[in-house]
Amino acid sequence: MIKKYLKLWKLLAILSAGSILSNRIDFVSYLFGKFIRFGFFFAFILAIFAHSNSLAGYGKYEVIFFFLTFNIVDTLGQLFFRGIYDFRNEVRLGNFDYTISKPVNALFFSLSRAVDLIDFIFLIPIVLIAIYVGFQIGHATIYNIFAYIILLFFGLFVILGIHIISAALIVWKTEAENAIWLYRESMTIGRFPPEIFSPKIKFLFTYFMPIIIIISIPAKAFLNMLNPVWILISFLYASLFLGFSVLIWRRGLRHYSSASS
Amino acid sequence: MKKYWTVFKMSWARELEYRFNFFLWRLRSFIGMTLLYFVWFSLTLKGKFAGFTEAELFTYVFGANILRSIIFGSQTRNIAEEINNGWFSRYLLMPINHFWFEFFRELAQRTLNFISSIFEVGIFILIAKPNFILEKNFSSLTFFFFSIILALFLYYLLSYLVSLVAFWSREAMGPRFLFEWLLEFSSGAYFPLSVFSEFLFFTLMSLPFAYLLYFPLSIYLEKMHNSELINFFALELIWIFVIAFITKYIWSKGLKRFTGEGI
Repeated sequence: MIKKYLKLWKLLAILSAGSILSNRIDFVSYLFGKFIRFGFFFAFILAIFAHSNSLAGYGKYEVIFFFLTFNIVDTLGQLFFRGIYDFRNEVRLGNFDYTISKPVNALFFSLSRAVDLIDFIFLIPIVLIAIYVGFQIGHATIYNIFAYIILLFFGLFVILGIHIISAALIVWKTEAENAIWLYRESMTIGRFPPEIFSPKIKFLFTYFMPIIIIISIPAKAFLNMLNPVWILISFLYASLFLGFSVLIWRRGLRHYSSASS
Repeated sequence: MKKYWTVFKMSWARELEYRFNFFLWRLRSFIGMTLLYFVWFSLTLKGKFAGFTEAELFTYVFGANILRSIIFGSQTRNIAEEINNGWFSRYLLMPINHFWFEFFRELAQRTLNFISSIFEVGIFILIAKPNFILEKNFSSLTFFFFSIILALFLYYLLSYLVSLVAFWSREAMGPRFLFEWLLEFSSGAYFPLSVFSEFLFFTLMSLPFAYLLYFPLSIYLEKMHNSELINFFALELIWIFVIAFITKYIWSKGLKRFTGEGI
């Protein structure tokens, strides 16, 4: 079963890469656009530290590390689940009929059909910069690095859950295209340390739109600022959230009214 | 003029058709504003930041949110798509000027976003009760409104011009993505451009993007001397004329290349 889906994912990734590379102007523009977006925010953080010594008690490299973690997680989400951005059109035009008639999981196929090569290329320098910044911070232990990677995985499960809920909303109410964009905008909360927010906002973005669990908790684990109990909370939250999202998807699917038939 | 008013009304009705999507769209904007508010709140706890007081920075965040809604639009995105799929042909048969047709179509979207953004900022102020500046100086307000009108045209010209790439290439969305991010940052949508070094600041001020948000907001916050004001207004007008000229030229060249796919 897992082997079959890995093979399918690989095939979809190859097809998607071929499609991206055949549109060279778009390819270069999107890649360059992503670097511009990254570069400007990076410059903004540097500008902040040109005028101030700390942000909410964090030093320059620590704030940069939060920003890099945001970029890594956000890019991974787009790399693996890019298909969601075209899902509304699939449902609206009735093409989703062909997806559900395929002998594969419709949700897996819909989310994975557009593996983004541009995000993969963008991710390489970001990870390298994160490693460099990690060395500059200097005090991370093997335990911190291990906890960081594990928590990133939990974060990815939550992201998958958010994508599944967005897909369910689109099936349910075709106009809900902006649900995924609401998630993307919420992710920007993770660009900065959570301590800058008020307790109410922190609560909201920890449990309702769990950006702090997705980004800030892993980053804090790396910075050795995390109470280990958060590893358990993150694991439980990710498991429950993913399970809940699958339930929503199944319920949403019952509302699917094929547009083409 | 009556036909463009009809275009405005139709576009208005269309925008209101998808209310749930519109609500989610505006919620995005609210989250963005919240993030920036807290960033500036943290940075001004110890006093001024980069020459800005807390009230000035909060006013900048709220002002940027409101101005973005009226100056930035997304309707012109569809132009490239319509050129590529051939739908554009129908406009050539209509007794309209395509430039103004799209302008009024987008104006409805901008007006709706503008009303919503005022409402959002109002709610935010009621909840967070932040310090902010309510400008009362008549001459500053006059220059501010004048700069908004110019910014509105400047953005539309730039946006329209980028969409015309579709006459030459089917790959118009990538350049559009690049343009939008360049514009978001260089316009000062996230932070005042003066937080950057002097060299970067003057480089950005020599480009057209800074006149979309940073310039009007600097006028509102009285951060510009009279001599700077005159120079920057002159530069903005030059940019508008240059881009209008290029747009007209590209339009006429592009139209000759249009193949009317799908007819």
